[in-house]
Amino acid sequence: MALRQTFSAKEKDSFRRIIETCFRQEVGLSAPLPDEMADLIQMGILDSMAWVSFLRAVETASGISDLASGLNERPASLASVLAALRESSKGPLAANDPQKGLNKYLGTVPVFLAASSSARGSRVVPSEEVDRAFGMPVGKLRKRAGIESLAYASEEENELTLGTKAADDALRTAVCGPQELDWVIATSETHHDYPALAAQLHSRLLARENCGALDVGGGCLGLLNALAVAQSLIASGGARTVAVVTADVHSRTLTPERVAGEFGGLFGDGASAFLLRREENALGGFGYQLGEFLFGCAGQYAAAIRVAGKKGGGLEVQFEGEALSRAAITRMEKVIAAVEARSGIARQAVGGFATHQPNPRLLTLLAKQCGVSPETFPPICSTAGNLGSSMCGAALHAALQNAANVEARQRKPIFLVSLGPGLLFGGTWLTPG
Amino acid sequence: MTKLLITEITRMGPAFCVIGLQRENQKMQSVRPIPCSAHSWTYFPHRRGDILECALTPFPGTFPHVEDRVVTKGFRKCAVVREAEVARYLRKAECSESLRGLFECSICENKQGSGAYALPAEARRSISGCQTQNLRLELCGNELRATLVLSSGEVLRDLPVVDRDWLDFVDAALAANRGANRAARLARFLNSQFHCKIMSCAHHFVRIGLTRPYREVCWLMLDTLFPLPKADWLEEF
Repeated sequence: MALRQTFSAKEKDSFRRIIETCFRQEVGLSAPLPDEMADLIQMGILDSMAWVSFLRAVETASGISDLASGLNERPASLASVLAALRESSKGPLAANDPQKGLNKYLGTVPVFLAASSSARGSRVVPSEEVDRAFGMPVGKLRKRAGIESLAYASEEENELTLGTKAADDALRTAVCGPQELDWVIATSETHHDYPALAAQLHSRLLARENCGALDVGGGCLGLLNALAVAQSLIASGGARTVAVVTADVHSRTLTPERVAGEFGGLFGDGASAFLLRREENALGGFGYQLGEFLFGCAGQYAAAIRVAGKKGGGLEVQFEGEALSRAAITRMEKVIAAVEARSGIARQAVGGFATHQPNPRLLTLLAKQCGVSPETFPPICSTAGNLGSSMCGAALHAALQNAANVEARQRKPIFLVSLGPGLLFGGTWLTPG
Repeated sequence: MTKLLITEITRMGPAFCVIGLQRENQKMQSVRPIPCSAHSWTYFPHRRGDILECALTPFPGTFPHVEDRVVTKGFRKCAVVREAEVARYLRKAECSESLRGLFECSICENKQGSGAYALPAEARRSISGCQTQNLRLELCGNELRATLVLSSGEVLRDLPVVDRDWLDFVDAALAANRGANRAARLARFLNSQFHCKIMSCAHHFVRIGLTRPYREVCWLMLDTLFPLPKADWLEEF
């Protein structure tokens, strides 16, 4: 595969756009853009805090993670930043940044979402019943979190059955036989059995024996991790067709006996599945192309949520609801801004935001903070609860379904953004094929 | 007269901010001596570990800078304490293992870019010590920044380093008479020998401070990093 050795005109424009966007984030939208050669610190345009903050924002938006160190012994000017961006992007794989390197490499091989599906636990439980079960005042989940009901798995359902159902649907939609699969990639935050979920799905779907099966982690960020792996496998030539499946059954893990209070009551059960392909064929009505991924870990929030097993089968849960809510909103807004800057797609032009949905109240707040319509966030958590790694998948499937209902040329991009304990974060975008 | 063990000397623009430890009964308490007309000193010839005698008067400072005291007479050096001893005393003063405990309030991240801040109305103090599981210094666009992980596992990124001794060390490392590729050589040192020297030091300790309120927030900064840099480390890179 021919790797790009120089930057294109399009790349030059995107560097300027990223610099301008990040600069305005720092100083305000109305501030004039200073002369490119001006030393921003000496001129008093930015203080040293704001300068580093600006550089970090450019790093995130461009995917060039070592940009700031390349600016030592240079003036603190926009011209320096632009030059450093250009220098960083010249290497064959932008060697000092694995994400950018990967993204540049992947950028040459389009990977499409050929089909999607989602499934929920078939038992619909009113939130008041869950309030009672977890020892909370009746009405708390509805009033404080906005959750009307939760989707719980029935006795016959588990991660495997829900995941299989979603995967079967996706395969059918794409008119793809399981023997065409080169990889099954699974993610779940509740399935801890052996054989692992991917292996069980592989057997249940009757994939070829030489089709790989891989489990990836990340909690609620699992779907993005899995999609990034699938994209890499396809782009590297290691696969043509990959199934990504998420499945979570919280109602058997976060039981009232193991977890008291609000935390356990927020979660529901569900699954999602996506079929990724190298070429845009057999698209089943839509075909969205995956964009670049950005990932990270905001460790300052690591203590806001922690779950660990205790002797005797209990769970040690550390859950600081308010702190986690603030962190989730701030971080998702930041990721949306970074995806916006990197993709060049304004958030107002986005047709759907498939984000993690901790609860409906936070989703409304996120829409407000981002200055976009709440209608662009498919409402999953209000009737199903937080579905863990399947949350983003269910939201993405709903966003794709909405897109499939409009004329192809009127379809809009979709932003995919999620979080996981750690605090892990990630984002990407999808554009109509 | 009050005896102050000088523990912090930080660079704040062209001036220096100073903090010392004062013993009150069996408790060690941080005190920030300030001149009567400013928050910092344009000239401060003393060093960390010096014990200075001075006369202090309470200052009706606002939260979170409750440690402020106006110096009415001073400073007279009366003794010197070794670096390891200073760190030992600091462990007995304000300390926290968690982010929230640092200033007894929640810490917010900068929504636009990097850095962390506390709200002045929420923070109960402006200086706190902490043990770190790991620490890294980085030169970022000519600015020295620290990233560290607390005992609780929480991470603080891109804290501006204002420790006078460490900033002097970096200035010396980047001095024009030190030849070519100075920033790259310093970066290599910070990524290699520095880490061993700091993390293996028995009296490794850091103190984190809050800036004065600026645009309604107080930014976190690395006030002190023990061990302090040694001049002969410059020979190593």
